[in-house]
Amino acid sequence: MAERVRVVIVDDHSIFRSGLKADLDDSIEVVGEAYDVESAVAAVTDAAPDVVLLDVHLPGVAVPAGTSGGAEVIRRAAASVPSTRFLALSVSDKAEDVVGVIRAGARGYITKGSSGADVSRAVQAVAGGDAVFSPKLAGFVLDAFGAAVGETAAASDELDRLSAREQEVMRLIARGYAYKEVAAELFISTKTVETHVSAVLRKLQLSSRHELTAWANARRLL
Amino acid sequence: MDSGAVRATDAAASVDAEAADAAENVSTTARSSTAATIPRMTRPRDCMATGVAAGLADHLGWSVWLVRAAFVLATIAAGAGVLLYLWLWVFTPWREGDQRPTRSAPVAWLLVGASTVCLLGVWIASGVWTLAAAEIEGSRSLVTLAGIAFAVAAAAWATLIDRPDPARGPRHELAVRAFATVLLAITALVQIFIVSRQSDTVVSFAVALAAVFGIALVYVPTLIAAWRDLTVERTKRIREEQRSEIAAHLHDSVLQTLALIQNRAGATSEVARIARAQERELRDWLFAGDAPADSDLGTDLRNFGAALEIDYAVTVDVVVVGESRESASGEVAAAAREAMLNAARHAGGEVSVYVESSPDAVEVFVRDRGPGFALAEVPGDRLGVRESIIGRMRRSGGSGEVRPGAGGIGTEVRLRFPSERVEASRG
Repeated sequence: MAERVRVVIVDDHSIFRSGLKADLDDSIEVVGEAYDVESAVAAVTDAAPDVVLLDVHLPGVAVPAGTSGGAEVIRRAAASVPSTRFLALSVSDKAEDVVGVIRAGARGYITKGSSGADVSRAVQAVAGGDAVFSPKLAGFVLDAFGAAVGETAAASDELDRLSAREQEVMRLIARGYAYKEVAAELFISTKTVETHVSAVLRKLQLSSRHELTAWANARRLL
Repeated sequence: MDSGAVRATDAAASVDAEAADAAENVSTTARSSTAATIPRMTRPRDCMATGVAAGLADHLGWSVWLVRAAFVLATIAAGAGVLLYLWLWVFTPWREGDQRPTRSAPVAWLLVGASTVCLLGVWIASGVWTLAAAEIEGSRSLVTLAGIAFAVAAAAWATLIDRPDPARGPRHELAVRAFATVLLAITALVQIFIVSRQSDTVVSFAVALAAVFGIALVYVPTLIAAWRDLTVERTKRIREEQRSEIAAHLHDSVLQTLALIQNRAGATSEVARIARAQERELRDWLFAGDAPADSDLGTDLRNFGAALEIDYAVTVDVVVVGESRESASGEVAAAAREAMLNAARHAGGEVSVYVESSPDAVEVFVRDRGPGFALAEVPGDRLGVRESIIGRMRRSGGSGEVRPGAGGIGTEVRLRFPSERVEASRG
């Protein structure tokens, strides 16, 4: 890695920020920290990092009811720093905590229980333009897009359903496979796996599928 | 000892209870000379109206009909019988037992009948002696008031006393109340009609008001019940709000700290496992309302995974997709648990469990990243995998498969159970 990935860490617990900072490996340079929505927007627009590690539950004034602080940061900051990518960090592995930030534009999400090496890997992946899916998120995607009841997209540009290949990839990720293992299992390249995952992420962000929307509405996420 | 005769009318009285009572009665007669041995006065749960007469008869060793006659006679003496009866009714406890009291006499309907008799009598009488109305004015108002009182009493009895009675219930209550309402409404109309024709309007108007007031009284218990429900609902909502406030607070503080501990201590260390178990427990407690009470396959495996994390150096990640129709007691669950236990015991580290319920089948994948093993190399006397996973699945109509994990790392167990088998094994 010729150039280090520049990262801003946003979390309202300073102890967590310092812990995470110490755990990240050498390929990552922390260029800023923030503790609430306002300071996060300032830090992100100021430093214009490659990746923002963003806590889902973030305090802040003037956060509209029904959105999480994390999603609000993306909404306010994304326009001014178009090359910055957001990676959501959540203390819980609950899809409902995370789908709001994903829909707001985050490129993936990991739990706070993940090791420093895992986080570093995820940061690298996101910086490289890939999406990061945990098994839980993959499971949620399969559920929300009706994969379990046999719904399959006919055309590749259909937003409301997953293609057969995307379902296979999501299933393997839900079963705990790393991208490399998914690639080996399906006899495709890791790059192709990443393409599929990115396509699923795009669908998750753009789909108007009613389960997804109804579900998010019920929890006032969107 | 005649209480047996009373109880004989109640078909519901159990043989056991009767035997026990008989024994009690024998002992009472044998030692009736000493006051201390006389049983405490209680009302039998299988009674006619209130159980006061039967209870008193038991207590005194009299015939129950004698007691009833005594009450009636005492009533003639300036209502002393009624007062004594009410007093005993209030202060005598039910006989020990957990059966709901049932009453053989249709008290509410008797009261409705009394009310009907009074009111009908008055109306007929007013029709017959319209001309001589002035002479009967006073007594007619009194009888009408009595009719109103009876109707209100009938409704109150049906609501407060008959409703919990398994033999009567809400439908009976509704009927009695409807009848009482109709009676009272007609009374009010009749009274207003009389007001328009008669000289002594003040009394008639007061009686009409009493009838309207009676209708209100009939519905007071319902209003009280509705009010009580509302209060309960409000308390519940307040409690729910408090709970989510606590949850939000704990989420921001304790759960973060637990996550940090896990993060710093390394995924498989003792400290991290304890922290993870605590986190899960706390989360379960915080969000307990969301979990379905009935345990399905996904919930069961999740709980089992949590238990494994305490006993072994593993982290178990359970992902559930699709509506789970499979119960936790089925063969799939048993086989999946066995596979998870194997993974925890022999592989450790991270174990991924994936459950997918599609319309055709239920599939469970258990994947670990341990040293792995080939089924052929396992000695024949080791029954764990062969019998409790693969054999069990095959016997129940599904299929099980053990193979090396992707890239040759670890082991993956795959269980598949077709849907029609799921239906059959459930039924």
